[in-house]
Amino acid sequence: MLEEIKSIKKAPIEEYYVPGHRTCAGCGPALQYRLVAKAAGPNTIFIGPTGCMYVANTSYSCGPWAVPWIHAQITNGGAVASGIEAAYKAMIRKHKTDAEFPNIIVMAGDGGSADIGIQALSAAFYRGHNILFIAYDNESYANTGIQTSPTTPYGAWTTFTPAGPVVPEGKKLMPKDLPKIMAHGHPELKYLATASLAYPLDLMNKVRKGLNAQGPAFLYVHAPCPKGWSFPADKTVEIGKLAVETGMFQLYELVDGEYKLTYKPREFRPVAEYIKLQGRFSHLKPEHIEKLQQFANGRLQEVGIEVSVPVQ
Amino acid sequence: MGVKKRISGCVATANAVKLADVDVICSYPIRPYTGIMSELARMVADGELDAEFVHGEGEHGQLSVVYGASAAGARTFTGSSGVGVTYAMEVYSPISGERLPVQMAIADRTLDPPGDFGSEQTDALCCRDQGWIQGWAATPQEALDNTLMYYRIGEDPRVLLPQYACQDGYFVSHILGEVDIPDAAQVKEFLPPYKNHHVLDPRKPQIIGAQMEPKMGPGMQYQRYLAIEGARKVIEEVHEEFGQIFGRKYAPWVEEFMTDDAEVAIFMQGGHSTTCKTVVKRLRNLGEKVGLVRLRTFRPFPTEQVREALSKFKAVGVVDNSVNFGISGGAGVLLTEARTALYGLGDKVSTVGFVGGLGGEMITHEEFYKMFQILKEVAKAGKAERQSYWLPYEL
Repeated sequence: MLEEIKSIKKAPIEEYYVPGHRTCAGCGPALQYRLVAKAAGPNTIFIGPTGCMYVANTSYSCGPWAVPWIHAQITNGGAVASGIEAAYKAMIRKHKTDAEFPNIIVMAGDGGSADIGIQALSAAFYRGHNILFIAYDNESYANTGIQTSPTTPYGAWTTFTPAGPVVPEGKKLMPKDLPKIMAHGHPELKYLATASLAYPLDLMNKVRKGLNAQGPAFLYVHAPCPKGWSFPADKTVEIGKLAVETGMFQLYELVDGEYKLTYKPREFRPVAEYIKLQGRFSHLKPEHIEKLQQFANGRLQEVGIEVSVPVQ
Repeated sequence: MGVKKRISGCVATANAVKLADVDVICSYPIRPYTGIMSELARMVADGELDAEFVHGEGEHGQLSVVYGASAAGARTFTGSSGVGVTYAMEVYSPISGERLPVQMAIADRTLDPPGDFGSEQTDALCCRDQGWIQGWAATPQEALDNTLMYYRIGEDPRVLLPQYACQDGYFVSHILGEVDIPDAAQVKEFLPPYKNHHVLDPRKPQIIGAQMEPKMGPGMQYQRYLAIEGARKVIEEVHEEFGQIFGRKYAPWVEEFMTDDAEVAIFMQGGHSTTCKTVVKRLRNLGEKVGLVRLRTFRPFPTEQVREALSKFKAVGVVDNSVNFGISGGAGVLLTEARTALYGLGDKVSTVGFVGGLGGEMITHEEFYKMFQILKEVAKAGKAERQSYWLPYEL
């Protein structure tokens, strides 16, 4: 069992996601990867479906992990993890290995989890494999040069959702809500939570809870992307905090089928404060921003928070 | 000592998987290979086989599960048919690229359309260049034996490649044949436990499948090329040893049937060769100089052995049980491979392609008689009038 980390100062000093990669300055996914690896510790195997955390980490036939890592296709992180888990179960039972059962963690982007990877993810959870699946959400296909994914917010610019006279808001669809899809309909699910790189202690402890759960655990991590969202590289953590404080992202755990907030701002700030720092929203008109505010209010209501920010 | 039973190709394969003491099996239903998995599921439920039996979410998931399991050090088994085989296409290259000796049984089946369940080699042949060992069994006994031999070949440290153990849907997978199921102790002697040096183990961290810069890629591909080329020697050794231990001696590359002094021959692979043998025997009784060359291993393709076997005939009819629309010669991949093997011999050997048995249709005795008739005419004329014939429409 991995113990709770009581304070950020008491976090392990050992690093398992180490220098030697070429992620962008201020990369949110890389920051959260470091925290996840730190929390998980040395008895861990990472599965890396294609995405930024594959390409930018392993570009030169090596990688920044001090623990084993294997590539998966963008399609099949859940299935590859299932196979590793099944292999360890069988080999331990049949005395074909003297290894301890490892932490098996999939680190998938939003494409590899909410979009092309959702079939393998859902199947792994249905089958009840003892794995932790982390979806780090940078809200786009960033590795291919910023294209829309199902979790790209309404109104965001991407190279597949450019704003123009005919489509003034850029992306017209509301994003898919992956943790809610995962929370219901997978009877073997043992743990589910959302987290953000801007709340590192909360993130690390949720990783540990997921790994202790002895079954399928799902962690959905908000991971701002300076390049894809067009904000300065030193603002990643600030943007992450603002997402939570404006209600655009909610931090919760699923406990006995109910959403339990793990952090609630004293007062929610208007969504406009979050989007004004990001170039991907710079084309939005007041009526679009209003729609985003409605979206945030709706998501907050779904996890039990009565709306406190008026729609302008 | 082994036991003799009358079982289908599916059940024979399942028995081989059990004898191989496989650790992780991943299933998904599609006819006709499904029978292998139902038999394995029964063996696991009855306590005859200790393995994780994972229900894949599709064939892509199946191949992904065994990719992970093999990388973690387990001996793995999966299988499919028809569109299931092509649905998993993305994962074949990563499996051979990471040098994971996964085994996949393919009980072949036509693709859609026509959507019937019939046997046809198109599905498995679509995957022929993915760096997997591949060959066809013509009987249930051979299906069992190939399964054991393929694990041994693929897991050899000089090879480390996955294997497609193919058998024709229904004609082999569902028709009963007498099968000698070998003794477990003998199998253990022939097939030691799988040991790989690059496994996912936190005590020895390794990074498997890292991305490479373009200039680093060709070296890795060259290694995969060397592996499948190097497998030729191992394939021969393993067939030899198999014969010594189990008493069944298979030709590793091509099985020749009544080819002594033959002037014309059919070249083909799979279960339809059994029908062809009957026709060859009957024609021999009538004094005709005909024979059959059956290909046993398709990948790596035995260019030298096929050249040696076929170059002694005046005319060779190549039977393709697959569709390859627009291919050179207008027939199938077996014709092009055979012609490549014969390249440089000029007009010495004439080749004619025959596409037959599509969608699970029989290639009838009558059709084989007609093929031999054409081959005799070609041999006499010294050249073929046409490149190929589609059965039954053009013959």
